[in-house]
Amino acid sequence: MRVLVVDDNSTNLDLMLYLLRAFGHDATGCADGATGLETALRGDFDAVLVDILMPTMDGYEFARRFRAAPALRALPLIAVTALAMPSDRERIASAGFDGYIAKPLEPRTFVAQIEGFARPAGP
Amino acid sequence: MGWHVPCGEPPGVDQPSLTLDELATSRFPLLEYAPDAIVLVDDRGVIRLVNAQTERLFGYYREELVGQPVEILVPHDTRASHVADRADYASDPRVRPMGVGLDLHGLRKDGTSFPVEISLSPVETRDGTYVAAAIRDVTERKAFEVRLRELNAELERASRAKDQFLASMSHELRTPLNAIIGFTGTLLMELPGPLAPEQRRQLEIVQSSAQHLLALITDILDLAKIESGKRELTFEPVRIGEVVAAVAGALGTMAAAKRLTLRTVGVDSETVAITDRRALHQIVLNLVNNAIKYTDAGSVSIAVERVATGDRAGVRIGVADTGIGIKAEDLSRLFRAFEQLDPSSTRRHEGTGLGLYLCRNLATLIGATIEASSTLGSGSRFTLTLPLER
Ligand SMILES: Nc1ncnc2c1ncn2[C@@H]1O[C@H](COP(=O)(O)OP(=O)(O)O)[C@@H](O)[C@H]1O
Ligand SMILES: [Mg+2]
Repeated sequence: MRVLVVDDNSTNLDLMLYLLRAFGHDATGCADGATGLETALRGDFDAVLVDILMPTMDGYEFARRFRAAPALRALPLIAVTALAMPSDRERIASAGFDGYIAKPLEPRTFVAQIEGFARPAGP
Repeated sequence: MGWHVPCGEPPGVDQPSLTLDELATSRFPLLEYAPDAIVLVDDRGVIRLVNAQTERLFGYYREELVGQPVEILVPHDTRASHVADRADYASDPRVRPMGVGLDLHGLRKDGTSFPVEISLSPVETRDGTYVAAAIRDVTERKAFEVRLRELNAELERASRAKDQFLASMSHELRTPLNAIIGFTGTLLMELPGPLAPEQRRQLEIVQSSAQHLLALITDILDLAKIESGKRELTFEPVRIGEVVAAVAGALGTMAAAKRLTLRTVGVDSETVAITDRRALHQIVLNLVNNAIKYTDAGSVSIAVERVATGDRAGVRIGVADTGIGIKAEDLSRLFRAFEQLDPSSTRRHEGTGLGLYLCRNLATLIGATIEASSTLGSGSRFTLTLPLER
């Protein structure tokens, strides 16, 4: 699976890339939303993970632009964020993401969760 | 309708019993000493009579006012419209407040103006109908209203700031914990390479301490939200059976790992309470979690039963275990913040000591009560009693 990860926090980015690669996936990281969108448009990804609180372009704005791009519209987009208050969860649920994972993430199950979001169980 | 000025014995219903002059010569003390300024105006808008409060409020002697157009008491910028409004009133004289929704002002002799509230009433006397205006100085009330509005705005700002603070705090604390828990996890999964037993032991301590810290953060933020009134509650019909089943489902593996039987009793699909689902779930989850944690062998049961508390229908959710139990003298301390009874550090570190405190706070929010009973060495029972209606 080819996964793009967008997070402004380099340690968190490092962790997610490390886990994905350790489980045999091809992972690419970006430190901001604008670069993330460009990379998503150029590459051929199976899933995109994005942080919510980022300077310049936040995850909500990222999701809006992402969904507006015809080439990306159907690509699984998953929020991975330390915003974990119930009101945050509600807002994220209605902002066009296919999945939501709260930080701190659970290292043992993280990659399996991503795989589940990327290839939703058939009908 | 209007004022039929009485004098001595009750007057006939439509029989005005006084003349204006009789009124003016203070045979009607209620008018003279009324707390509002009262100004009697004739059909041409000429002041015919004022009371003592009018003198105090506007700074004129009554001799200066009687015979003057009433507009002498009206600020210059609204005089013209006042003349028109007066004609309007004359065509339909009723008892009513004047200029509802308008900011009315009075003009003092010294040229200063002040906010007023005015009610109008036709007054019938033997020599004709007049209009009485009762005028109240609302300077203080207006100032008070402004202050109140400012205070409210300030409170709202403070409350929003606190909200924002809690949200940022949650986010900022979780971010470094993500790295700690995450990389401890990758090491324990031996993704970078095999671990020596002592390395594993120490990393497991890091991991459980980080999990403990995360639990503390979650509980403390929850409490902060409850205490600042920020915990959002949604009262809706909630099937008690669903909540119990969800809790039993979530903690089934934990019970199984300790070889405990986890039972539910009296669960039906009819018992529905109007309550906040999240709060109820959180309370029951905490109680069952404790029951499993403080029980080494035997069973944990969750029993649902309908009760009447006073004249209100309620439901009781009892969580009983066959665990270590609680000393009678400790029962009252349980619900305090950071209160943990077991002195051995292993058990203490499995919890935060905030669980029951949080439960009690949540219970109060949804109008429920929690009680504990126990026999040391043979088990405990925690009972949540919840009204079916709000
Ligand atoms: N079912 C139970 N059986 C025995 N002791 C209990 C039980 N539930 C709670 N306690 C005692 O009450 C203390 C406070 O509980 P709680 O507030 O949930 O904190 P903790 O995080 O330590 O579980 C616990 O530390 C424990 O000593
Ligand atoms: Mg507890």
